[in-house]
Amino acid sequence: MRDDFELEIEGKVVHITNPKKALWPELEIHKLDYIRYLIEMAPYILPYTTNRLLTTIRFPNGIHGKSFYQKNVPEHAPEWLQVYSYRDTNYIVASNLPTLVWLGNQASLELHVTFNLINQPSQPTELVFDLDPTDVEDYSLVLETSCRIKEILDSLGLYSQPKTSGATGIQIYLPIATRYSYEETRQLNKFIAQYIEGKYPHLVTLERLVKNRGTKLYFDYLQHWEGKTLPAPYSARARTAASVSAPVTWEEVYQGFHPTDFTLRNMKERIDKMGDLFSTITTEKKEQSLDELLNFIKIHA
Amino acid sequence: MHTMWKGSISFGLVNIPVKMFSATEDKDIRFRHLHKDCGTPIKYSKTCPHCEREVQMNEIVKGYEYEPGRFVVISDEDIDAITPETRKTIEILDFVSLDQIDPIYFDKTYFLSPNETGDKAYVLLREAMQRTGKIAIAKITIRSKESLAAVRLYQNCIVMETIFYPDEVRPVEQVPGLPTQLAVSEAEMNMAVQLIENLATDFDASKYNDDYRHKLLDLIHAKVEGEQVQEAPEIPRAVKVVDLMAALQASLEATKTAKEQEQAMQGEKEPVKKRRRKATIS
Repeated sequence: MRDDFELEIEGKVVHITNPKKALWPELEIHKLDYIRYLIEMAPYILPYTTNRLLTTIRFPNGIHGKSFYQKNVPEHAPEWLQVYSYRDTNYIVASNLPTLVWLGNQASLELHVTFNLINQPSQPTELVFDLDPTDVEDYSLVLETSCRIKEILDSLGLYSQPKTSGATGIQIYLPIATRYSYEETRQLNKFIAQYIEGKYPHLVTLERLVKNRGTKLYFDYLQHWEGKTLPAPYSARARTAASVSAPVTWEEVYQGFHPTDFTLRNMKERIDKMGDLFSTITTEKKEQSLDELLNFIKIHA
Repeated sequence: MHTMWKGSISFGLVNIPVKMFSATEDKDIRFRHLHKDCGTPIKYSKTCPHCEREVQMNEIVKGYEYEPGRFVVISDEDIDAITPETRKTIEILDFVSLDQIDPIYFDKTYFLSPNETGDKAYVLLREAMQRTGKIAIAKITIRSKESLAAVRLYQNCIVMETIFYPDEVRPVEQVPGLPTQLAVSEAEMNMAVQLIENLATDFDASKYNDDYRHKLLDLIHAKVEGEQVQEAPEIPRAVKVVDLMAALQASLEATKTAKEQEQAMQGEKEPVKKRRRKATIS
């Protein structure tokens, strides 16, 4: 026997198989530990993943084993899972706790979701800046660029909330009224990306080709689009440090940190201390207007 | 000239270290493809239709399609494992007369120069070939392809011509519509032979120009001179955006101030009409 058992959550039965499987072997984080993390963090993960198409990366044999992207719901999945058909793919929608636990048992270590809700496929719920360093060793560049972007956003009167990607980047979220198209958000995203590149050419590049980026930070304004995904807030990443995609305060960005500071092991404690920094995007969303900015860009740019 | 390859000519027990250079260059005028509407050079990107994203060089592997839609992946290691051992040598097999090789067999020509300490052996081979009038047939591997080659002299340089294997030259029987013997009159034949003899001369390469290329260059110069020039627009670049940002910030600030003033005005009992100075653009 492999200590398999059944867990009844909110009236749904989830089979937990191989709970002692080491998923992050260096830190001895087993599947059961990961499922426990998902249960503890569900109140903060679910508000964002609910009603969004989910793409997961599964690591059945832990982070060093073979992995695969899963978009389509597998055949053996329980009937109670919420599934949403979009462009010939039957996506899982992680809208409740039993689903998160089931995903945990599937060793879905990374949860990536869309920028839009399933019922409004062409209107993102926020504008997101995705910053990815070319030199993964140099995290200070990401922090510095984030600060420059924060200054711009402040000068434009825009509220923003940063989060680590959990890997090497930072993503800056601007909650917006859900009535702008991806074409419109891209105009603004591109405008700011070009401004940052023009003002800080030694820091930032918009170059698509990796080989031409040098050591500069890549401002990926094309990532924000229908069908594309980013890790959900508090999603784990398949990295040795068991880092998670963690919302951070702007003070923390200014003071500096390393993405591996935020892990499966300390997120719950952090939430207890600091609260859910992502609530301004999820449960208490700020519906910011982009009308004036878009008008200006439409006329001038 | 830039070295394409380094290796050695292996000739009996003698090894001559050599460097190889391309002997010919293509002077075709190259055009770039522009977007008709705006004149911007077209960019090509490699994308994976399945993952719906651009892929980088290091994400690409070679696959052989053994039946439609089914591939086997061939890695560099696989290729290395079967690459012949003659990899770094031009291995001389035989010496023959040049006129025994039909020009149809010749593919590409490379200059060979002695490398490091090879001077003496290089000169020895060159003089011996000069004296005998023979050329060598050799085997060579360039870029994991094994080729047959002719090693011969061109002025004072040893050159190598890669030559096609016999099975790479298509049989003449495959050429459609080649006439067999047709009766021609003796008079016609005499006329044709006489025409040839009238045009017969010694080959002088410098006589021949690529007229088409010259005409094309003239056309290009004329267009540049006459300023019929299609300039690629600046890809909307940051400098402009940097200026615009200041304008945007100012515009937002103005709206904010206007709103505040409106609120302030509403707070007053008898709003005093003030002539606000208008920003004018002259």
